[in-house]
Amino acid sequence: MVELTDIQNTSLRQEITEYVEKVNERQHLIQLYSKARPDLQDIAAAIVAGDHETVDRLTEKALQEEIQALEVMDDGLIAGMALVGIKFRENFIFVPEVLACARAMKAGMKHIEPILSASGIKPVGKVIMGTVKGDLHDIGKNLCIMMLRGAGFEVIDLGVDTSSDDFIDAVEEYEAPIVGMSALLTTTMPNMGKTIEAFIDADLRDDVKFMVGGAPVTPAFADDMGADAYGDSAVECVDIAKRFVATSDS
Amino acid sequence: MDKIDPEEYEKRVARITSLFSDIVRHSETQSLTRCPYKNKDDRCTASFGCRYKSPIKSDESLPQCDSDDLLDYRSAWDTHPESYEKMRQQLQETILNPDDPRITSAGTVSTVHKTLPAKVGKTLFDYADDFQLSVPSSCGRMGQCHECIIEITEGMESLCPKAETEAFLSESFRLACQSSVQHSDKNICFSVLSRSPQILTATQTATLDRDPTVIRKGNDVYYQDELIDQFRGGIFGLAIDLGTSTIVMELVNLQSCEAIYTCSFENPQRFGGSDVMNRISYDAGPFRGKLHRVLINTLNDKIFHIAEQTQIDRRMIYEIVLVGNPTMRDLFFNLDVQSIGQRPYKSSMEHAFLEGKRTTTAITSLTRKLRLAVNKNARVFGAPIIASHVGGDIVADLVTLDLAVQTGTVMLVDVGTNTEVVLKSGNRMVTASCPAGPAFEGGLVTFGMPGYEGAIESITYQEDQLTYQTIGDVKPTGICGSGLIDLLATLRRSEQMTPMGVFADKAQAFTVVPEPRITLSREDASHLAQAKAANYCGQYILMRSLGVTPESIDKLYLAGGFANYVDPESAIAIGFLAPVDTERIVKVGNSASQGAKELLLSQKKRQDIEKVIAQIEHIELETTADFFEIFVDGCQFKPMQFV
Repeated sequence: MVELTDIQNTSLRQEITEYVEKVNERQHLIQLYSKARPDLQDIAAAIVAGDHETVDRLTEKALQEEIQALEVMDDGLIAGMALVGIKFRENFIFVPEVLACARAMKAGMKHIEPILSASGIKPVGKVIMGTVKGDLHDIGKNLCIMMLRGAGFEVIDLGVDTSSDDFIDAVEEYEAPIVGMSALLTTTMPNMGKTIEAFIDADLRDDVKFMVGGAPVTPAFADDMGADAYGDSAVECVDIAKRFVATSDS
Repeated sequence: MDKIDPEEYEKRVARITSLFSDIVRHSETQSLTRCPYKNKDDRCTASFGCRYKSPIKSDESLPQCDSDDLLDYRSAWDTHPESYEKMRQQLQETILNPDDPRITSAGTVSTVHKTLPAKVGKTLFDYADDFQLSVPSSCGRMGQCHECIIEITEGMESLCPKAETEAFLSESFRLACQSSVQHSDKNICFSVLSRSPQILTATQTATLDRDPTVIRKGNDVYYQDELIDQFRGGIFGLAIDLGTSTIVMELVNLQSCEAIYTCSFENPQRFGGSDVMNRISYDAGPFRGKLHRVLINTLNDKIFHIAEQTQIDRRMIYEIVLVGNPTMRDLFFNLDVQSIGQRPYKSSMEHAFLEGKRTTTAITSLTRKLRLAVNKNARVFGAPIIASHVGGDIVADLVTLDLAVQTGTVMLVDVGTNTEVVLKSGNRMVTASCPAGPAFEGGLVTFGMPGYEGAIESITYQEDQLTYQTIGDVKPTGICGSGLIDLLATLRRSEQMTPMGVFADKAQAFTVVPEPRITLSREDASHLAQAKAANYCGQYILMRSLGVTPESIDKLYLAGGFANYVDPESAIAIGFLAPVDTERIVKVGNSASQGAKELLLSQKKRQDIEKVIAQIEHIELETTADFFEIFVDGCQFKPMQFV
């Protein structure tokens, strides 16, 4: 039976003591971290801290030291994220912190990607994501991006207040076949339709599939605007994007 | 470089996806009650504006979020960063260009005392700004918060058609932000809701029993025996007298038992009708719940206002005591009010009480369930009701006057949209509710108005000359309740009107003020006659039921919004009040508000009053055999007569 003291990394020990209350989860994490190499424990701790620079540096170093990529993912990146999930569920941290942790995880995955392509594993697909013109709300969109990246998509994030031209430029530059648009206001929602129209005008409509979402958007509205799919939740956008990929392959 | 087995990699992806899916699902649940842009230190990470953002101090990287998650955070988001200003600029550049042929100055837009030329495209909210009127809004004037309700008194047809978001508003009401001038050739006149009428500070200064429910123990704040907060520097409560037409709100320091701030304003529910029966049927329609929400929004707006004026953190408000008639009270608590609209006119609470399912008709609830912007753990106490339409406001009157322990024969007349009468003689107490309607409070009468600045509040007639006094000593714009009673009495005394309300020369209207023209029409007189008759019936039938004559009444307490300004002699002359010797008439002002304050400060009074309520007999006026004859008598403008 492993004990908390078997974990070398002090901040991980503190985190568990302070935030993990359920006995089985506590035991699971202690086992997970205590068997991990100290270098990978440090990566997990940096993920929990949402420190993307440290994750970036340590992941690169670990791979240079020829630690297996899958081990880095298991004992470093994913192990850290597991604790983040628990802290979030128990309301110790909130969405802004979770997004910072997801960003840290992405900084680590960046170093895994070359190994993936060398192993013949390609990204599932390429997606352009942005909140439409006039809208500065980004949390829903960022959660979608987190989900997509986690599922192996390459995502180009155009941020907030994205004009039709920005979307068009990105599609041309990255040759991405999928565009995800988000709007949180009834007043900016029509800009999704305007963007789709701009793609028609630029003769690019057939090259891309549009998925849309956001609190005020309804399936009927999405359909009226000519979007290809509507997602009710960030979880759904992965399924939609995968469906897009499947239909374009066939 | 090592290679990765695709199958092994797939397992990792599945693991990450499942982790993230849990996170996303939790974030969706959480976002129902907490703004997702707020981080663990309650700081705001949003790049857009929000009302809850406190100004950034130099040593802080992110602004503090002031929200306590009680209110829907989305309504606080500045969702249209520049849109309103932009729209305004565009309007000014294009439509409001003075050379534009569509603009003529023939028409005007006006409110009380103030007038400007009508300009196409300008919203009435813009005019309200120009007139320096305060109109509530929290959605950036996009028609979403439904707070900026105004009443159009003239020129509705010159405004743009109603937007979809205004569908819930009846005939003459609009949202200020959605009503723009479409034709500038005619006059438009509007008035804002929740104007502040002349108010009475309580006249009675009874020694108060001081045992409030919320107390400080060391560094903790307790509600009875429950720990609810850390002491924040003060303990406050709100006493609310929720009337059909007017709301009075008082902030009370529960430690020193002092009232600190009083404000009074119109009930914003007027778009749903002016009396309780109209409101009940409005709430049965497609906009069920709207009256409740509009009321809560307005109350929150006022709570923010009071907090700002007094510099007292609204989170230091731990209890609200609310008194009001059963309909108003239950709309506040978002209960179904339909049973109050049908015989036997009893609320669901009263039915439950009579069936033995409840021990009291009082309601205690957490304020956060009603989304009131006070302390998270604050409670609201809805005072018990007596029976049918006789509610907590009358209970509060009884608390103030301590009527139960008074000896002799005493009568309380609380004048309002619904007038309530309580009569105590010997050891019997009877009560009745009289549906007077809003005629004496600004409704139905052409030039009637509540007691705002510019209202004629008293009228005298000497040597064929009519003289009047307006509130605020300004140009008259209408007549309020006390002025109407004086006017009717004057017309009777000078024989310019018959008891039946017919003008001497058979004229259709009597001119009160020639310029600006203020008149009283035959129809106005008829509405006033019916309103007065309701008051008459209540007093008459109660007195008769206990065998009491006006001479035997030791004290007549006159309470209610405008009651303090009423001249008792005029009121007696037209039969508005029973002919009790004016020396025995005591004006007690807004005693309901005072009673609410006493209930707020004393748990004992809350218990005691239940016993008093149990003794009161309720009389349903309409079931009295000769009700109709009494009503017809009551419609005449002449003193009440006892046979």
